[in-house]
Amino acid sequence: MNAKAEKIRVASIDPSYYQAVTDAIRTEAVKLLSEEAVVAVVGYLPGRRIGTAVPGLVTTPEQAQQLIFSPACVNNLSLYLTKAKKGVLKKGKVAIIAKGCDLRALAGLMGESQVKKEDIYTIGIACAGVFGANSDRKGGLTEASIARKCRECTVHQPEGVDLLVGTLPELPQLTALEAQELARLEALTPEERWAYWKEQFSKCIRCLACRQVCPFCYCEQCLCDKNRPQALESSPRPAGNTAWHIVRAMHLAGRCGGCAECERVCPMDIPLNLLNRRMAMELKELYDYEASMVPQEKGPLTRYQEDDDQSFIK
Amino acid sequence: MSLLITETNLRSLVDALVKGATLVVGPKHSGSVVLYQPLAAGSDLTLDELPRRSAKELYFPVCEDILTFKRENGKLEVRDIDRSRFPETVLIGAPPCDAGSPSILDAVFSWDYNDEFFLERRRKSTIVGIACTKGDDACFCTAVGLAPDAKAGSDLFLTPLLGGSFRCEPVTEKGQALIDKHAGLFSEGAAGEPVAFADQSTGKLDLPKIKEWLNGHFEDPLWESIADICVGCAACAFICPACHCFDINDEGNPDNGTRRKHWDACGFSKFTNHASGHNPRDIQNKRYRNRIMHKFKYYDDKFGKTLCTGCGRCIRACPVGIDIAEILDTINKKAQQG
Repeated sequence: MNAKAEKIRVASIDPSYYQAVTDAIRTEAVKLLSEEAVVAVVGYLPGRRIGTAVPGLVTTPEQAQQLIFSPACVNNLSLYLTKAKKGVLKKGKVAIIAKGCDLRALAGLMGESQVKKEDIYTIGIACAGVFGANSDRKGGLTEASIARKCRECTVHQPEGVDLLVGTLPELPQLTALEAQELARLEALTPEERWAYWKEQFSKCIRCLACRQVCPFCYCEQCLCDKNRPQALESSPRPAGNTAWHIVRAMHLAGRCGGCAECERVCPMDIPLNLLNRRMAMELKELYDYEASMVPQEKGPLTRYQEDDDQSFIK
Repeated sequence: MSLLITETNLRSLVDALVKGATLVVGPKHSGSVVLYQPLAAGSDLTLDELPRRSAKELYFPVCEDILTFKRENGKLEVRDIDRSRFPETVLIGAPPCDAGSPSILDAVFSWDYNDEFFLERRRKSTIVGIACTKGDDACFCTAVGLAPDAKAGSDLFLTPLLGGSFRCEPVTEKGQALIDKHAGLFSEGAAGEPVAFADQSTGKLDLPKIKEWLNGHFEDPLWESIADICVGCAACAFICPACHCFDINDEGNPDNGTRRKHWDACGFSKFTNHASGHNPRDIQNKRYRNRIMHKFKYYDDKFGKTLCTGCGRCIRACPVGIDIAEILDTINKKAQQG
């Protein structure tokens, strides 16, 4: 498929689609806050720079008039409902804006008893896609600027939400670049693959942005912060970096909702979502499990069933 | 008449320095990013993109060994790192926001303790700065007192000219020495028009007024409103040219190991966690407040300098879009109102 045919024609989506979503969010948020049905709406506010948006913890109807939805609304806001962010929201019911990929995280958090369904009001967005990290945002959402995860999104249309906003515009078929890259790595020999990841991990500076944006990284004591004794080297060197990223991937297996926030925020461009997806493939194969927008009481790795495969016990 | 160097000769200068066993560090492509890295040849030098991380790591690496220890026959032997082996270094192609930071950091690294790891590298290095022509809407160097053509911190300063040459201005003796040693690569001539300097999206800030406001507003609703969304990572601090906090860890085992110094950041919740379990910065907005206070008040209190060069890296990298230029502008406005 040539690039031109793939280009997402923003002109046909924007401004009506984004404006309609924005208007619907504002109307609902103003209503919820005016009626005191919620104490806050977690949504997106416009950033100062062109093509940017920032998470907003909105508590008044006036602020709610500023809420937006645009391709710059990249963040997975469910992070703000976790205990890692305790204290930033007042106690009480909270409304949250969620794209399909964010909903999978919310569902996961409910499954892990971190968020109660009755404590939140979800405003789901029929989402056409968002910007990728470091993309040129001046031309709107295009094949060049769309996030890699959105190219093969299966959750454009949210499910199980309290309010659904937006009518999905017609979306072009985009080549699945991430799946292609995953297949490329799978075809390598273990030595070649190891060399690839060694190089990727060598770039890590241990800023832990990947951990801090992850809705599932809510542990009060992270293994990588342990220093008496150290569980893994905390200095940004190959051994500790590799250990950290393997721990991260393993700890998220069967939990990760695939929002790819970890990859988006990495200042060193480490393709972390490839690890998440590889783990997801493993979970699919072993337990026929997939992250979904519907809460599941127990994840595949926290549930015991008599017919579980036990052949690995020797 | 001005002193000029062509782009070809600038690259030849790198080649000559490398051949002379000098470590030459400059912006270089590495996969999808540009980083300050050792250059093997002049052709490695790229001048069309601001490196993702700042040039501070030349003096203050992401991670470095500061001593090693080994137990032999029951006796623990400690070995220092031989700093005399740090090579003579030339940093080349650093825009003012990067060239300007090491001289700001000299104050803290030679304050109550002389950090010889930093200082030895500083003594052995020459900085070739270059006027910036590639800014974007995150840049705000002018707002914090620098400029796309500010020479502060550079030993030799280059200004790109239309047509591909550079005007060369020695700023210090080190810079002059570099020119003298490679005189054949430079020429005298009429400097043409410079390439247009990078635009700045923000107005100039009244830094003394901002500091005055900070003096009286340690407690203020502003901190919650700007930083409750902060996720508490270190992306901003690690890629910042001026943030300089570090942690020290002994790694290995009790009988054979290394003491390492590596970047740390006030954004981490563990940063101020006391052994007792008490944490004076118990919530994230207090940690972000420290970032602003340290840069625009504490460092000025102690050393009379601002700990920010306006490179805009933290704005570009923040996972949640916290925009320090916008925050400073907000404080600036509050400060003007008194």
